[in-house]
Amino acid sequence: MTDFYQTGIITTLHQLGQPTLERLESELLGFSKTRPIALVLPALYSEFEGPAMPGIVRELSKVKYLNEIVLTLDQATEDDFRRVREFMSPIQTEVKIIHNSGKRIGEVYETLTRNGLDAGLRGKGRSAWLAYGYVLARGRSDVIALHDCDIVTYSRELLGRLCYPIANPNLNYVFCKGYYSRVTSKMNGRVTRLLVTPLVRSLQQLSGQHGFLTFLDSFRYSLAGEFSMSTDLARINRIPSDWGLEVGSLAEVYRNYSPRRVCQVDIAATYEHKHQILSADDAEKGLMKMSVDICKSIFRTLASDGVVFSEGMFRSLIVTYLRQAEDTLMKYEADAMINGLTFDRHEEAKAVEAFSRAIAMASQAFVENPMGNPLIPNWNRVSAAIPDIFEMLRLAVDADNK
Amino acid sequence: MMDFIDLILEPLQEMLLRFKAFLPNLLAMLVIVGIGLLLAKLLRAILLKFLAAVGFDSWSDRMGFTTLMRKGDLWVKPSVVVGAVAFWMLVIVTLMVGLSALRVAAIDSLVGEFFSYLPRVFSAAMILLIGYVVSGFVSRAVLIAAANAGFHYAKLLGEVIRALLMLMILAMVMEQLQIATSIVLAAFSITFGGVVVALAIAFGVGGIGAARRIIEREIAEEKPQEKQDDIEHI
Repeated sequence: MTDFYQTGIITTLHQLGQPTLERLESELLGFSKTRPIALVLPALYSEFEGPAMPGIVRELSKVKYLNEIVLTLDQATEDDFRRVREFMSPIQTEVKIIHNSGKRIGEVYETLTRNGLDAGLRGKGRSAWLAYGYVLARGRSDVIALHDCDIVTYSRELLGRLCYPIANPNLNYVFCKGYYSRVTSKMNGRVTRLLVTPLVRSLQQLSGQHGFLTFLDSFRYSLAGEFSMSTDLARINRIPSDWGLEVGSLAEVYRNYSPRRVCQVDIAATYEHKHQILSADDAEKGLMKMSVDICKSIFRTLASDGVVFSEGMFRSLIVTYLRQAEDTLMKYEADAMINGLTFDRHEEAKAVEAFSRAIAMASQAFVENPMGNPLIPNWNRVSAAIPDIFEMLRLAVDADNK
Repeated sequence: MMDFIDLILEPLQEMLLRFKAFLPNLLAMLVIVGIGLLLAKLLRAILLKFLAAVGFDSWSDRMGFTTLMRKGDLWVKPSVVVGAVAFWMLVIVTLMVGLSALRVAAIDSLVGEFFSYLPRVFSAAMILLIGYVVSGFVSRAVLIAAANAGFHYAKLLGEVIRALLMLMILAMVMEQLQIATSIVLAAFSITFGGVVVALAIAFGVGGIGAARRIIEREIAEEKPQEKQDDIEHI
């Protein structure tokens, strides 16, 4: 149960009272007649060997309002691909699997590269982007919902609540981010709690009120991997291919649409998925890599909006961040105590130290190269360069799924 | 007894002599084919370098040739396909030249026929290539014009125009290759004529009212104004 407080400049849709899944799904079935819904699932083959995917397939096989499911399968051989097709067969909705490591999709990427379009590095960003392209190529859906494939506590309600704000034509939202508490016997979600929120508030302290920072701070869980959007947005949004995916995508939404058309929805009371290691000593993996990418993405978005970053500002930022993070840490400790949760203050403090190092690394990377990795171009840009790209993509996926 | 042995040995000796006479020709053929294969590989490598330098693959992507290949489930670079076609053409030509070196009458006539057929293959390929580009251009022009005119089925119209043009081009290609010319001509005439007659009937029947209104308006415009009654009534 939650309160009904509206956070920031976007709409927050809480879970209030006892909403029934039957009502939600029957309404969604009605909406899907005029706004067909596609579900995009970026997945690694290893996730089909884990505990989450059987539950997700079991739940999805009961869903009736989905128009199509597009699963982008990465790091899989031909045999793995066949096994995944078999695995997904209980689902009644039409399932198309994009074989990301396959020969045909490889040729699609090759076509993009030789035409000067960089689809970025292998990862969730590129997988999601390609799936949007396929949904656009088919032209059968108006709404796209996306969630990860490692959710152990997955339920149909999560999907229903995620789709509802965009599928309902009376609400007029174009982008909806999911949120949930990352609590088991302890508090998870360290990057959001101890990096993103304190960093955004430190930047607000240093550079004054800024639209994007206010927008970012309005999200209860800005790094949540679950969201839904209109297909129009999928056509015009560019996507980062690194760990800055979530923050970079929000920056694109902020750039293209009014915050009035953006909302966040409470999708789950409990949420559990696989955890990343902190990897405090190696900035090339784990949460450290993620943190550096996120910080760079925030700096670049602000710089592109006219904020001037100097060496002095970066020095102050680290100090301000440390103060903000320490204050935040104390708040969470109190929160954990009253709820009887395990709270390892030493580990949390170590995480803050690691994140401050990540900010310093990201600052240095930004000073050395303010442009950074280019975002994956939006589909309008791609189809302008290669007019037949949608048909090519559709042919590749359909041939793989024959 | 000696006669009997001669009877056996004579044909063998004759065969040996013929083989001796034939051996240089066979060697010549093998050398020609061997050099031809090497040359074909070299030319393919040069062609691939050249096509990469002029950006042939990107051009094919934009012109729709790559999509055409993908429709045929061919998932390699367009330049690789061109390279392979050139390579196998050269191999076939080399093989034909090599076979002619054998100096066997039956093979010589086959080789002659092959070389006289080559220009037809070339012109058919050119018709197909240019026809595909032109059909794409015309189809896109129709699509844009129809969409700008607010026509609801602009995309369908563009696709129909493209299909009809491709039908015509394929008939021309088959005619050029002299493959079942009479059947192709008859099939094309019936199909194309049928489509045109069907469209004419559909448009004619559907447009009766519009045509009547236009004719009536034309007649009304041409008809002189009736003379005003010049009697003034008091």
